[in-house]
Amino acid sequence: MRHFLVMALFAGLASIVFGAMAKDSTRERLIYGLKVFAEFMVIGLVLSWILYFIP
Amino acid sequence: MVKAEHMQAEEVPGTAWLTGLAAWFIPGLGHVLLKRWFRAILMGGAVWVCFFVGLAMGGHLFDLSSEGSWVILQVPPMIANLGTGALYIVSWLIGYGFADDPVRAARATYEYGNTFLLIAGLLNYLNMLDAFDVAAGRKP
Repeated sequence: MRHFLVMALFAGLASIVFGAMAKDSTRERLIYGLKVFAEFMVIGLVLSWILYFIP
Repeated sequence: MVKAEHMQAEEVPGTAWLTGLAAWFIPGLGHVLLKRWFRAILMGGAVWVCFFVGLAMGGHLFDLSSEGSWVILQVPPMIANLGTGALYIVSWLIGYGFADDPVRAARATYEYGNTFLLIAGLLNYLNMLDAFDVAAGRKP
């Protein structure tokens, strides 16, 4: 559980910066930040499951 | 003729360079100087949180203290760590966060801490570029 929370914190902090500096309007920034956050989380989970099966 | 006009260097005000330098030195300061308070809190705050969480998790900062040819491997992570500006410099001056002892390395969060510290610096480089672009009038 701790590992997941650390990953979520990492994704959150990185997506804040990515979202804040991209796009033009606040709405677009918010959507982009959420999209980046979701990408970090999904890719992180997929990679962790792949690595789980590799001895 | 048209090509030559395109290739003409864009004039960048000196204040933009100073703002970029300030943004690097103290995370968030660049946007504070530009009176972008919300962006300063969000972007600068993310770097500060990332840095201190990294230290709290037992991560260590990189410098050139290794001996022999291995020192070259320390350069890329050190450049990433240096992105935190004064946070890195103060840590270096007080000698905190640079120890790479086995007890610290045995902690479950050791590698997470290293990653957070590296990313804090890299995110601040993005902050710096953003502050520079806003100060230069390239971004709203």
